[in-house]
Amino acid sequence: MKKLLSLFSGKRAGRSFLAPTVLVLIALTTFPFLFSLWLTLSKVSFIGGLSIHFIGLRNWARLFADERTWNALSNTLLIVVIAVTVEYVLGLGLALLLSNTKIKGRSSFRVLFLTPMMLAPIAVGYMGRMMFNYTRGPVNHIFPYLGLPALGWLTDSGTAIYSIIIMDIWQWTPLMFLILLAGIETIPSGFFEAARVDGASRWQLFRHIIFPLLAPASVAAILIRVLETFKIIDTIYIMTGGGPGISTESMTLFGYSLGLSAFDLAYGSTIAFSLFIMVLVISIVLLLMTRRFQELTVQ
Amino acid sequence: MRAIGKERLLKILTYTLLVSWGIFALFPIYWTITTSFKEKLDVFMGPKYIPWADFKPVLKWWKRIFTVEVSEVIRPFKNSIIIATVSSLVAMLLGTMAAYGLTRFRFKLGRLGNQDILVWIISQRMMPPIVTVLALFLMFKIVSEKYLIDSLLGMILVYSSFNLPIAVWVMRNFLSQIPYSIEEAAMVDGASRTQIFFRIIIPMTLPSLTVTFLLCFIFAWNEFLFALILTFSDARTVPILIASQHFQRGPQWWDISALSTLAIAPVIIIALSLQRYLVRGLIPMRK
Repeated sequence: MKKLLSLFSGKRAGRSFLAPTVLVLIALTTFPFLFSLWLTLSKVSFIGGLSIHFIGLRNWARLFADERTWNALSNTLLIVVIAVTVEYVLGLGLALLLSNTKIKGRSSFRVLFLTPMMLAPIAVGYMGRMMFNYTRGPVNHIFPYLGLPALGWLTDSGTAIYSIIIMDIWQWTPLMFLILLAGIETIPSGFFEAARVDGASRWQLFRHIIFPLLAPASVAAILIRVLETFKIIDTIYIMTGGGPGISTESMTLFGYSLGLSAFDLAYGSTIAFSLFIMVLVISIVLLLMTRRFQELTVQ
Repeated sequence: MRAIGKERLLKILTYTLLVSWGIFALFPIYWTITTSFKEKLDVFMGPKYIPWADFKPVLKWWKRIFTVEVSEVIRPFKNSIIIATVSSLVAMLLGTMAAYGLTRFRFKLGRLGNQDILVWIISQRMMPPIVTVLALFLMFKIVSEKYLIDSLLGMILVYSSFNLPIAVWVMRNFLSQIPYSIEEAAMVDGASRTQIFFRIIIPMTLPSLTVTFLLCFIFAWNEFLFALILTFSDARTVPILIASQHFQRGPQWWDISALSTLAIAPVIIIALSLQRYLVRGLIPMRK
């Protein structure tokens, strides 16, 4: 015990504080990550005991030739692009509305608005199934009163993906709202006063002060949501199971179905790894774009 | 006169929008809770909105969960409570230590410094979990199928590492606000690093530790994909129990709603009572 404690003193103390976290992450995240990369080049067989053979790029060739890959990829991209865009716009709007300190019951509104993002996505999936039920769901019951047609929602391959997107927007607009509201609140009030003295309109205030100063918060919020939305599986698993057919299958769901349901771990890992590469490329592009954008606005 | 009218209109519009979004945010939760009190007929003849006016609420599904089905339901809840609690405690302790190290020492790993180590830690949480989970499944199978797959221990390990980056992030934000002079004074008095950590830092950051614990707990409580792949009977968690319902029962919305309500209740209670603190933990404010 004394020997153990002595690790935490002297010059090396810092390392001892950091080491457990680094070791746990290497063992349970970094190592599986590398193992997964190796699996993409292998064939895993359970017949007559576990064996893993190197087969080169055959899994990758199969991946590119598989129509299901492109279907899952385009579904995932569609969900990410639409959901994150709408969430950003709505979240920004709500944050602007609630940043007005004269609003009564601000903190109650805030608590209320943030609740959906805390809930288990599995439960949210069931909420979606009940909301969008063709005959018994409230959405189809209310729509005709608004002059809109009742839709097949989850059973129609054209609308199913939008039902999923709507539930994603329902659950995750709160996070955008939260980050953007925090961003607006850190803008020094001097800016607003100066603008008012200069007679700036609300729109000018937003366009020339709030929006540019909010850029770092916007980038952070969008990046987090893009990364998270690429992983989507829970709500799809419950709401449609990837159907009708495979019309709502996401990359993660595709990887899960092949990897575990069909028990082809190597191919499942290949699907997962292609998702990782895409997420990596897109986050780098997003970060570079924002750097370029900031350079432009500074000039 | 005209200006006042415009201000007023804007105010009405603001409140209308806020209240509409509030209804939109609340409605699916309201629907889930009320459905757990509906008769079968009220679900199938639905939609019915308002208890007592539209339909007569019944308690029978709730009674059934706590009597007939209790043996089936209680285990996943027990599992989830144990897994989420223990893994959050582990993540909180290790994460706090790492955050302490990162805010109080300067690390050099070639050209990499503290910021790079932090980015590496956070990036572990950003990676899509499907990338590691299939490999983890195989790893656990090779190392010890008996003790790691479909076991509480395996899930605790996985969720601890899954929550570690968040714990480091949150605790780093809190710890960087604590002035270093307190520790210097203690060191002058001859206190060791471990004494400082356990006798000064931990007691001083107790509220922040609670926030970290609760955030980790919520993430572990809600997590689905790891549990889906690594558990199937003995160690099933609440999300897996709920997800399996529509395969087992078909659209028995009253039961599913009651179970969903049970699953979201603890989180809603935490959110309603402590949200301000949770938010401050996730997003560092400059004030």
